[in-house]
Amino acid sequence: MARRNPIRDEIAIVGLGSTEFSRDAGGRSAASLAAEACINAIQDAGIDKSEIDGIVGALEPGAPRPNQMSSILGLSDITHHSSPMPVAVFGLVDAMAAIFSGQCDTVLLYFAFTRLPWNSRSAAKDAFRNYNTMGGGTKAPPVPEAIDPSAAYTAWAQRYIYEYKVPREDFGRVALNMRANAARNPKAAMKAPLTMEGYLSARMIRDPLCMLDMDIPVDGADAFILTTTEKAKKMTPHPVVVHAATAGMVGRNDEDQLPDLTRHGQHIVVEALKERSDVWIDEIDVFFPYDGFSIITLGWIENVGYAKPGQAGRFMQEHWDEDLGCVMINGKVPMNPHGGSLSEGASRGTGHLREAVTQLRGDAKERQVHDAKTALIGCGGFFFNSQGAILKRL
Amino acid sequence: MSEQVDDATLVERFPWVQITHDSKYLYRGWLDKKLLINRCDDCSTFHHPPKPVCPDCWSTKLTPTEVSGGGIVFLAMHLHQGAPAPEVDYAKGPHPVVAVELEGLGGVRFSSTVVDCPVEDVVIGLPVELAWIERYGAPFPVFRKRTGGGE
Repeated sequence: MARRNPIRDEIAIVGLGSTEFSRDAGGRSAASLAAEACINAIQDAGIDKSEIDGIVGALEPGAPRPNQMSSILGLSDITHHSSPMPVAVFGLVDAMAAIFSGQCDTVLLYFAFTRLPWNSRSAAKDAFRNYNTMGGGTKAPPVPEAIDPSAAYTAWAQRYIYEYKVPREDFGRVALNMRANAARNPKAAMKAPLTMEGYLSARMIRDPLCMLDMDIPVDGADAFILTTTEKAKKMTPHPVVVHAATAGMVGRNDEDQLPDLTRHGQHIVVEALKERSDVWIDEIDVFFPYDGFSIITLGWIENVGYAKPGQAGRFMQEHWDEDLGCVMINGKVPMNPHGGSLSEGASRGTGHLREAVTQLRGDAKERQVHDAKTALIGCGGFFFNSQGAILKRL
Repeated sequence: MSEQVDDATLVERFPWVQITHDSKYLYRGWLDKKLLINRCDDCSTFHHPPKPVCPDCWSTKLTPTEVSGGGIVFLAMHLHQGAPAPEVDYAKGPHPVVAVELEGLGGVRFSSTVVDCPVEDVVIGLPVELAWIERYGAPFPVFRKRTGGGE
């Protein structure tokens, strides 16, 4: 495992742009959503579009490719462009590495999300979405018995329940936390109050996970502008920088062959981040555990070291703020204050990254953590997309 | 015998699977109602799903080896909704999906469903044995609750 971290604090995130996240953006294309987010990010950074010489766009179904985005925005000459796999930190580390290695100076990093025909009735009626499939490339239709990347989280959630003898309420607390936080986020798709009774009676999808354990498909987009910290310091006195970032997976990562819950991608990410970081959870002001499925959040809480295996539910209960209706670790550290993928919307971690930067800039309004200086993002799940990042305000 | 089934025919028999040159033996086995799991000729390690080399020693000498298919349910879930299949009716009740740790194979698991068993009995730890059903006109390996006294 690499213990070097020459890129530490060398890359800054100087621009943020987003759309709203909604269950139905109406007659808008993914390119339209991406364009809105990108323009917002470029304007937020206060740079001219001609300064962008790198463009990185995640391979989301239906999302515009970097060459298309460059053409849509009328960018200048580009010397780095790539399309990393979905989930936010893949794009983040690619953009960071490109800048640090001198491929380019300033990157536009974007992610666009559109509900797929099979996960939304209204999306299925949209004739222009029918070609969008997750993964793509294969004509083979799915079968019920496929323990694919999505269903696998349910299978391992049952294993978690079996091994640690925990109630469904432990998963419910994850959902409740996100919903309460989303109510304080104007961009969030799901703001209606949620109770434990509501969680327990929600429609079961793949037992033991119900619809409230699964992130909410949305239309929307996020974009970021990254550049060298040296440049960023000329733009703002206290830029938000990436202190450490990594992806992680174990060799035997097939969804149904993963040896057990005690060593998977999250463990590799945690070990790598600890090696490369000056800070860990005692110094963290805001915590961003991914919540594409509630079981992933329980995993992050435990694997970063807040709780022992099987005790994430108890930990959330012990650190529950009854007034706010959400987790406040040691009375001060919130968990996904923007509402996460479960309630803000399924942005595969870009919402977590955006909110981390927003918090560190002090721009989170009623959600603002007092004097937040450090954020920990645990992104992705167990198999092939575990990743993490520590962000700091200089 | 399925040995004679050519690649194009194999693809036609399993239109719902993306078959490769690494996994073709597995599906040829299904046509004979045999569950074949890759075993390395050099280090004897089993692996699944089928890979082009042994993940342990990188040998390319791999033999798809018929196994009993008995084992213990390691992962289990009950689908209230999911992908369609001809014999699966979610309206009648949840469809169980399991990953079974196959006995004697060093932790290799095989994922399918469990038939002829109340869904509430399909839980982690259940001993199962291999069975075969038809899916889209071709044999499909499933599990059922183990009945005999074991091996």
